[in-house]
Amino acid sequence: MSDNSTSSDEFSTLPISIPPTTIISSTLNDSRSLYLANVPADSTEAHFRAIFSSLVGAGRFESITFDQDKRGAQISHEPAQAERLAKHHKKRKREDEELQQKKEDAAAALPDTWTRELHRSGSSAIALLADEKSVDLVLKAVRKLHKSKKYPIWGEGLKDGVLTLGTHWLKAHNRLSYPGNDVVQAVVDAYFTAFNRKEDEAHQLAKRLRNEPDEDGFVMVTRGSRSAPARRDEAEEAKQRMLEKQQKKKDETQDFYRFQLRERRKAEQMELLKKFDEDRKKVQAMKEKRGKFRPEA
Amino acid sequence: MEPNSPKRRKLDHTHGGPTFESVASSSMGASGSSAFVLETDELLKEVKLDYSKAFPGLDQTLRHFKEAIEGLEQYGPVPINEASAGWEKTNRTAIPYPDPKPAKNCPYKVSFEKPTHINVVGSYASQTMAKTQASFAVDMIVVMPAALFSEKDYRDYRYFYKRAFYLAYMVDALRKKFPDLAFVYTNLNGNVLLPVLVARPQDQSSKPQSAGDAGSRGKLSYEIRIIPNAPEGCFPTAKLSTTSSAIRRHGSEESKDSKVPTPFYNNTLKSESQFVSYLKLLHRASSSCASFKDACILGRTWLQQRGFGGHVADGGFGHFHWAVLMALLLQTGGRKGEPILSPSLHASQLFKATLQYLATSNLHKKPVILGSNNIPAEAVRQSGPVLYDSARQLNILFNMTSWSAFMLNEHAKLSLSAVNDPQVDQFDSLFITKVNQPLQIFDLFVKINIPSNASQKLPSVSDGRSPTVAFAEDVYRTLKKALGERAKLISIQMPKLASWKVTPSSTKSKTESIFVNIMCDPAKASQGREFGPLYEQKKDAAKFREFWGDVAELWQFPSGEIVESVNWTDFSSLGYFGICQAIIRYILKSRLKLTDGELEFHGQKFSSIISLSSADKASFDAAKAAFSVFEKDVRELEDLPLSVKQIASIGAETRYASLRSPTPHQRKQGTTPIDTMLSFEASGKWPENTASIQRAKIALLLQIGRSLEEAKKGIKTHLGLEDAERETENLGFLDIVYESGFAFRLRVHSDQEETLLDRQTKDQTLDRHVRTEAAALVSSARWRSTILPLHNQTISTYCTRFPALSSSIRLTKHWFNAHRLSNYFNEPLIELFVLQAFLQPHPFPIPSSTSTGFLRTLLLLASYDWREEPMIVDPSDSLSVSQRLDISTRLEAWRKIDANMNRVTLFVATPFDVTGVAYTQNIPKVVATRMTTLARSASKASKDKGIELDPRTLFQSGLRDYDFVLHFSAKAIKGVIRDDGAKHSHFKNLDETGSSEALPLPESPVPAFLRRLNSTYATPLLFFHGGAEDTVVAALWNPQLHTRAFSANMPSSFKPTDADADKFELNKDAVLAEIARIGGDLIEKIDIKDNQR
Repeated sequence: MSDNSTSSDEFSTLPISIPPTTIISSTLNDSRSLYLANVPADSTEAHFRAIFSSLVGAGRFESITFDQDKRGAQISHEPAQAERLAKHHKKRKREDEELQQKKEDAAAALPDTWTRELHRSGSSAIALLADEKSVDLVLKAVRKLHKSKKYPIWGEGLKDGVLTLGTHWLKAHNRLSYPGNDVVQAVVDAYFTAFNRKEDEAHQLAKRLRNEPDEDGFVMVTRGSRSAPARRDEAEEAKQRMLEKQQKKKDETQDFYRFQLRERRKAEQMELLKKFDEDRKKVQAMKEKRGKFRPEA
Repeated sequence: MEPNSPKRRKLDHTHGGPTFESVASSSMGASGSSAFVLETDELLKEVKLDYSKAFPGLDQTLRHFKEAIEGLEQYGPVPINEASAGWEKTNRTAIPYPDPKPAKNCPYKVSFEKPTHINVVGSYASQTMAKTQASFAVDMIVVMPAALFSEKDYRDYRYFYKRAFYLAYMVDALRKKFPDLAFVYTNLNGNVLLPVLVARPQDQSSKPQSAGDAGSRGKLSYEIRIIPNAPEGCFPTAKLSTTSSAIRRHGSEESKDSKVPTPFYNNTLKSESQFVSYLKLLHRASSSCASFKDACILGRTWLQQRGFGGHVADGGFGHFHWAVLMALLLQTGGRKGEPILSPSLHASQLFKATLQYLATSNLHKKPVILGSNNIPAEAVRQSGPVLYDSARQLNILFNMTSWSAFMLNEHAKLSLSAVNDPQVDQFDSLFITKVNQPLQIFDLFVKINIPSNASQKLPSVSDGRSPTVAFAEDVYRTLKKALGERAKLISIQMPKLASWKVTPSSTKSKTESIFVNIMCDPAKASQGREFGPLYEQKKDAAKFREFWGDVAELWQFPSGEIVESVNWTDFSSLGYFGICQAIIRYILKSRLKLTDGELEFHGQKFSSIISLSSADKASFDAAKAAFSVFEKDVRELEDLPLSVKQIASIGAETRYASLRSPTPHQRKQGTTPIDTMLSFEASGKWPENTASIQRAKIALLLQIGRSLEEAKKGIKTHLGLEDAERETENLGFLDIVYESGFAFRLRVHSDQEETLLDRQTKDQTLDRHVRTEAAALVSSARWRSTILPLHNQTISTYCTRFPALSSSIRLTKHWFNAHRLSNYFNEPLIELFVLQAFLQPHPFPIPSSTSTGFLRTLLLLASYDWREEPMIVDPSDSLSVSQRLDISTRLEAWRKIDANMNRVTLFVATPFDVTGVAYTQNIPKVVATRMTTLARSASKASKDKGIELDPRTLFQSGLRDYDFVLHFSAKAIKGVIRDDGAKHSHFKNLDETGSSEALPLPESPVPAFLRRLNSTYATPLLFFHGGAEDTVVAALWNPQLHTRAFSANMPSSFKPTDADADKFELNKDAVLAEIARIGGDLIEKIDIKDNQR
């Protein structure tokens, strides 16, 4: 593609609007953030920094969150017991604990396999600006642009910090896919140190909770070392067993009376008739599709 | 109900009700049989003709003919030389004498007298024509009066000369009386002794009309054949037995002992006087048996789809023979002369029983006598097939060739096995599929130009057969003997003798050629040495030497036995094809004096397309052996925290199915490691969290890697990270590179993970998207850990059972690659397609070569109606009827939920995956349709072109259909694969991670790039790519992305339309620019279809 730049020109016609507050619940930043739709697939923070500084000057842009940055957050790494307990026993985290947690998470995260992420075509992002005033300024600048038609150029004014795509990027991917056994070992070790600790904590907590009344004075009834209600699948298994037992009992009393035999035979006959009917329907259906009964030439 | 109470059952048939109590179909299940009966009824309705509409005015023409012939005046007798010299000239009508022409000094006379009677016979009279026939012939027999012939006329073609004149006399008269008809001579069923007159209405085109356009008008083109024949009892049958000689002209000087039997001549003569009696026989049969005619039409259709016909070039077994056989079987045929067929049977049952008779009677091996059994078999034995009708003392198959008897028997057996297989729908394979496609059955084709002097070389020509047929018979016998077990089937295609003008004209002879089609048995045909009888068995040994000539030699086994043998090992390197070719060349040269210039071989171009070689099997075996070494190494590790349950290979290299044969040390092209799967015994040690399980797997892999490196020398392990999008997916694998060059990619399966995910999918309290995500994860885990290992085993087993399977799979994969479909059809699915073509070959035999295996897969795909039918690949017949029903029901359910087939298109079930969707994930409807279209056009090409087909054309694919095409730079690709890390040290973060050594197993950049594109542009674009080596990616825009109003969550990059700022359309330019930016220097150019901009 030679006409890279011309088609990029048209980026600036992307609509920009203030997001409804429910889209992302970043508690404090709502009034400072700007919802961007239809971001290009190869966007990076640097790209947007460049765009915003061309619009409203440097220093207004703080950071940007893309769609897929949010994805990893939902997955829980807590041991199952800890999770179950957490439902019954909310524990407030202190700030330093949270900091510690973050550090641990960082150590336990596997290295990325790509130097630069791509975004799904047409996805959205949220830019966090310095203050509310900056948001207004940006919007004003955009409106002005529509009149002057002097749109910013995508990728202009980027610093060296942005890694190139293309073969470099793919080469780097091949390389990053093999971070080295030692590196991965360290990550995994860090992960399981934290995981085991959490498991232990949960265990301790469960033990403690076993006979301790809660705020309302109730004592949670638990079974063995598990401190949560019986799992759903166990209940299902029990039901299955019961059904099997019933079926067995029923089987034993079959073909005992004459009427049972008679009924069975009747059912078989009906079955035969039904099959014949089905066949006829099938043939009818084949007939409707023309050519089914015409030998190939 | 009792089987022998015809009255009651006959009632059933007359009102056409259900025939549950079917007698002959006892071998089939209740449901299968009733469907079959209904289907045949529909077929009959479809192919039956409305005679008055199809042939308007025909009856009248026939009546005119009859009157005209009856009104002719007596002529002669005149001496034969006078007739040929004088009469022919004055009337300008040729007398169609058979070869050799009558000698000048012949003493006997020819004449014309009013025929005793004239009758319309054949399928027009009995109303057993079918719409799908290639041509419609109305047979009219003219019985010549007995007064014309003398007692000795059976000798030396005398009868045939008289007959020829009689015919010519009629022709002359009719020609003048009916100027609106075109008259030509032709031979009855290709029998050169029996010229007949063919009259066609002149307004209809002379070429046979196809049934398709005939149906629209309701009118069919027809021809009237006028067949003169002898009155009953005209010839002394005693003197016309198979062993007697009726032609003495050449041998008259020699002693009487040396006279050669002339069975063909004798039988032709006998058949001449039997026309009327066969007409009576058929009439009796159709009046005594209600469904006789229908069964005849079924038989006709069956024969027609297999290319059999009454003409000797079609094999000499046509509708007439089928009808006579059935009529005779209604009277006799059993061991004690009791009838085999009962007149109260339904048409489909009559058909099946006749088929069974053909399959079991072995016509090609021994003479079959129908009727009173007091005739010694010796009296009727002759070289060709014999079906002796003792009531009429005639071998009704005298015009049939030996190979066609063999093929008929083979086809009957195949059809019978299809009928007896309750799992398949037998109907299509019996009547609908066109079986007469040489490329779909045979592997080796030889075109033989008949040398012009062939007839002089041959000893057997003197019994009146056409020289071409006699020559072909010789070729057949020679090849059959020479190839022995190497050839499973041999069939010969001959040119059909054309019709010739009724006016005298010089006949020019041109070189004719016959096609020999051979289906080899790859296992036996690749034997390098042919072993004959023991040296001590002098008689057999002498025969062997006589046959093989100079190449016969003695061979001593280590045990001391000495046998005669022939050595073909010089050709072993060329594979079985080379050996067979060498044998054919040699034997035809030595026995039939055919030079190399007269032989032309076809059929092996298919294997050269992907350079298959016989050494491939060894390299696949080496890969399998390397895997078992690896398996042993892993199992021997002692310090693993869990005990190993199974370590299974899931790579195509270990099931003889990868496109390239696995060779170690191929670093330069980018080694593909063999995928393997490790599962442990159930354990409570796994963490109870799917994300943590993934990390635990990595920890296990690292430990395995460490232990392996410690335990064995020459092993290098590298932990690699997957391109995972979520933490709950499989995150890592371990590459184990052996010094021997083979590399394995190990992944761990945890059943705890499967249980947890399974629980999530069923947990109603969770969010819907969590459940669907879990379901996707479960299915991908099952795919790798359960289905693929079983699949691997199955394919590997069947590759050893069917020798041609492996190469057919590889060629089919190449086809999918060539058409850029392989990024949608995963390799296991393609393997299943090919396996299915081998498991359910009906109506063909099991494919025996790469070309047949491949073409039959395409045929299967062409006829595979994936919208409505599931494909059930069941190698060991382990699925019960109810399971099969379940599978069909599941497909119906899918179609109900998802009528547009956005999620599930193809539905392929196996015993180890009854869900039917594991193999066919992510195949868009467009792609599935494209596969069907391509397969159809390929099958059509192979059917139309026959052996002239250039296989390469099937693999050519244009780029014009795509919206745009990305061309990658080969240099850039090479650069990525060969990356040694030293050059690009300005990436700081890379330097830390051990840049000093080369990458362990670099992946080709194109698939990785394509994966990224796919996840980025899943909605707006469909990408097409053909395997890792393809340097082109083609793409189509999703036509369903309409212009829409703005919303927060657009499916793709959009821009406001020019006309209306509130409407947004797909921003194609921006997407293309993005792709160009992402690809960077990897992309050489992007071609955009003209109308896109």
